[in-house]
This record gives sequence, C-alpha cells and structure tokens, in this order.
Amino acid sequence: MSLEMIDPRKEFGRIITEIAENDERIVVLSADSGKSSGFGDFAEKFPERYFEFGIMEQGVIGIASGLATTGRIPVFCAIAPFVTSRPFEMLRNDLGYMKQNVKVVGRNGGMTYSDLGSTHHSLEDYAITRMIPGFVVLAPQDISELRNAVKTMLYHQGPVYMRIGSQKIPRIFDDSEFEIGKGRLIKEGIDATLVTTGYILTDVLSAVSILENEGISIEVIGMPTVSIIDKDMILKSIKKTRKIITIEEHYILGGLGAVVGELISEYDPISLKRIGLPHEYISSGPYDLLKEKYNMDAKGISKQIKEFIINKGVKI
Amino acid sequence: MKDTELVRLQLHAQHSRKNVIQMIKAGKSGHMGGALSCIDIVTALYFNIMKIDPHNPKDPNRDRFVLSAGHKCMAQYAVLAQRGYFNKAILDTYGSLDTPLPGHPNMHELPGIEANTGALGHGLSISVGMALGLRLDKNDARVFVVTGDGELPEGSNWEAIAAAAQYKLSNLIAIIDNNELQISGKTKDIMNMDPIGKRFESFGWNVIDIDGNDMAEIIKALVDTPISEDKPTAIIAHTVKAKGLSFAEKKVAYHYWTPDQSELNQAFEEIEESIRILQRRLQNES
Repeated sequence: MSLEMIDPRKEFGRIITEIAENDERIVVLSADSGKSSGFGDFAEKFPERYFEFGIMEQGVIGIASGLATTGRIPVFCAIAPFVTSRPFEMLRNDLGYMKQNVKVVGRNGGMTYSDLGSTHHSLEDYAITRMIPGFVVLAPQDISELRNAVKTMLYHQGPVYMRIGSQKIPRIFDDSEFEIGKGRLIKEGIDATLVTTGYILTDVLSAVSILENEGISIEVIGMPTVSIIDKDMILKSIKKTRKIITIEEHYILGGLGAVVGELISEYDPISLKRIGLPHEYISSGPYDLLKEKYNMDAKGISKQIKEFIINKGVKI
Repeated sequence: MKDTELVRLQLHAQHSRKNVIQMIKAGKSGHMGGALSCIDIVTALYFNIMKIDPHNPKDPNRDRFVLSAGHKCMAQYAVLAQRGYFNKAILDTYGSLDTPLPGHPNMHELPGIEANTGALGHGLSISVGMALGLRLDKNDARVFVVTGDGELPEGSNWEAIAAAAQYKLSNLIAIIDNNELQISGKTKDIMNMDPIGKRFESFGWNVIDIDGNDMAEIIKALVDTPISEDKPTAIIAHTVKAKGLSFAEKKVAYHYWTPDQSELNQAFEEIEESIRILQRRLQNES
C-alpha cells in the first residue's frame, strides 16, 4: 500500500490520455465537464478528438452512440447523476439496446459531492445502470485498480458505466490485469464474509482492522464489477463463514447488496446485512461528517458489522 | 431530372405504400398515418439520393438514414424491401413473434436499419454523432434523419439541433415530416412548435420548405443540400398524414390503423389504381 493519495479524476483523465496517444479511436465528449474530469491534457493534445457540447447530457449520450457507430470509442465523464439518472433512456436505448461501444464515467460519485446536496449525489447509479441489459457497471477500489479497470473498460466491446469518486485514494493493490466480473479476495477471515465495492475500501479496511483487534475475523472480498459479481468466490467464502455483509456508498436498495442478495437467496440462503445509505434524500455537509452521520466511516462500519455478528451468535 | 425518372420514383413510392398495407394486413394493425406521410421522402432517399448498396448495408462509405420517428418504421421497411435489402416475403412476418420487423426498428434484426429508435427525440442526437464521426474520418458520406413534427417538443432534439449548428455539420440533413397531426390531435393545438423553420434557422441551420409528398420538390431540395458548407440543413416537409388513401388522409384516427376487410380492400384498390396510372404514364413517355 502506498501512502500517496491521488485524485481519481486526474488519474482517470491521465490514463485515457496516455492510451489515446496510440489509439485514435478514442474520443472524449464533454458536457462542460471535461476539464474537471481530468481531460485538460487530452483537450490540448488531441483537440480534434475532444468535443465540447455544453450542458446537455441527454444529447451527449445520443451523440456518443452515433460516434460509436463509426468505429470510435467515445468516453464521456461528468458528475455521476448527470450521466446516469438524467439521460437514463439514452443509456437504455442508444447505448444498451444499440449495443454501442461507449464508456460513461460518473465522477464525484456516491455522496462525495457531499456539501452540494442531493441533486449532486448518486446513490442509485449502480441500481439503474445494472438494469440495462449488456451494460457493465464498474467501481474500482484503489488507484491501481482504477488504472487497470480503465484499460479494460476501453477495450471491452459494449457499453460500460464506471463510477469514480472525488476524494483522493491510495494505491492498495499491485498492478494486475482487470477482469470484468472477477472478485478480489483481499483478506481471509472466518466469522463473516464482507463484500465491498468502489472507493470506500480504505474505510472498509480500517473498520475490519478495528474488528480484528476485538477478535472478529472478517473475510473481505472486493467486487469492482457491480453488474456481474463473482459468484464462485462469494459462494465459496460463505460456505466457510455462513454470514455475509455487503457495503457500498449507495442506497441499500438496488446496488451491490441487492446483487449479492439475489445470488445467495438462489444458491445458498443465509443472513445478509446490507450496509449503505438509507433510502432517502440524505443530508449535505462535509464528506467526513456525512460518513459519520450515516455510520459509513470506519467506526460506523465496524459498529454495524459488530452488531450484526453478535446478533448472529458470534461470541466475542 | 427526366420525367420518366420522376415517374419511376413515384412508382417505387406507390409500391412501397402497397408494402405498408401488406404489412398491416399481415399484422392486423400498425402506425400507418405517419408511415404514408413520409414514404415519398424515404423513397427519394433510397432510390435517388443516398449513396448506398443494398448488398453491402454496412459499407463504411454509405450514407446513413436514421428514422427518429421510429413508429413510422413501416415506411422504411417497405422501401428497404422495394430497394432489395431483403426479400419481400419478410413483410408478411410483420406483427408475428420474433419478426425482424418489430413495431419500432431494431438495427440488429434487419439490414439497413442504423439506429434503434422508437422513443422519440433520440434520432437527431444519434445522427449528430454519426455526422461528427464521418467528418472525423474524412468520409464524405452524409446522414439523413427523418423526425416527426409531433416529436419536436422533446427537449433532447434541441440539444442536438444546437450541437449540429455549433459543429457546422453540413453533412447532416434533417427532414421534418410535418404532417401536422399526432395521436391526440393537431400538433399546433397540443404543443405548437411553429414556425418550425424559423426555430431551426435561429439555431443556425439552413432551412428549406417543400411539399413532402411531391417527388419533384423532394428531389430538388435534397439535390440542393448542403446549401452552405458551414451549416446543417433542415428540410421542412409539409406532408399529408396517411397520404395516398382517400378515406384516411389528414384524419388523426389513422395515426394507428386497425383496418377492417373493406378498408383493406379499398386501400389495395386505390394504391393499385395509382400504380396502373403511373405505369401507363411511364409507357407513354418512353
């Protein structure tokens, strides 16, 4: 793990720009959002492949679809709710139904645009994008995974939605090829299986470490693909632990918790604890205080896990 | 254009109208009114204007046709069949399970379909993207998109209309099938978008007004585009809903048509009679 904390938006834009040096198919679309998405260099280096449209996210998704029909790989990044809930029908029809090779990236995802309020939060983006047949939904967990997921996303044939945050994140994993639908066994444990996704991993690992000091051993599985989860890895883990917890910066409805719930209820029904945000328009304020308020910081997460585990009869 | 060529195009349009009635007969119902208002335009594009090869429908150098008003797809199916993209026998599958001719077009099912339209207000954006992509490739192919006047209140259209002007997409031609009716009544009573031409003009487009059921006017307008190299073109095609069927023309009830046998018979008779007249004219002129 590297202590250097990196802005995921800048890193995302840097990787796309680097790959675009050698791949002219990559074009970037902006809805007055490109520079804040890390595409300043791209716009300077490849002005003919950088398209500014102003604030029109529905139009941009349709335009991206049309560009893709000519063999281009369009990448469109803006604030997460504006590229998911606003143009949902365009994602569904122009990208999903038309099977177009377009990459949509929601930045400042979840509640990381904390103080700007509910219009700028995206706590339903996993739920709505995963409902579109053929759509791949990604939520990389650290800087290394982000870099490799971006490469995989670009060369996956078909529409992809990726959520990134805005808070700086560390490098936790070594570089390795990112495989869509593959889970990552981050830590072995015996008392419960914890499945996590996205940039909240640092807090999750801190929570697990708090629990470890109290004698609770958690098996941690990272699931950076939300749309297709690693069935074998989860079923194998819960065979051992017989308890499962999901955690995501998303409503507890419709996202990773729902995907895991759908899986285990069909193959191995055991108790599931979903940790996430309540289904309401949440407060605004500093990100750290929001996390604290909703028990989504390390302390809150460890508290929620502990309560669940004690309820299920684990003696501490 | 020679008169004989014009009559040949009119004949293709009438045969395509007959194909539409054939599909409705097979499927028992369909969006007839709009299909018949725009079918002269679609015929002109596929038989005279567009650079296309029915045997190579994915040719990267082809002109693109996008039907934003996807419910009028029977017009496109009819013309594609007439142009030889697929066997006319497929028309009889309209309305049946797993048909390649669904009630709104699917590009993965049928050659010649470029976009999965049906939800209104999508086709213009997709067409802007195609036109941008072609220009980036230095490909001189053009994009023709047909929208209905009834779909113009969809805000997403105006996003695309602004973008097309900003990027000076002279390779984009939008044809507005202005038949003045939509399912609930007259477009100007439901949500008045007149003057449509002036609205496009104010967004930075070149605009031409034509009679969209007059083959000579359609061809002249399409041949004249682009009017300038720095603007997209909008052709406001004033059309008659259900054009070609005397009992249905300009009647909103025929937006979606579930005919009885006598109406079906009359439709076939009227179109076949017009085909006979055109064939005689062709013989006389040649």
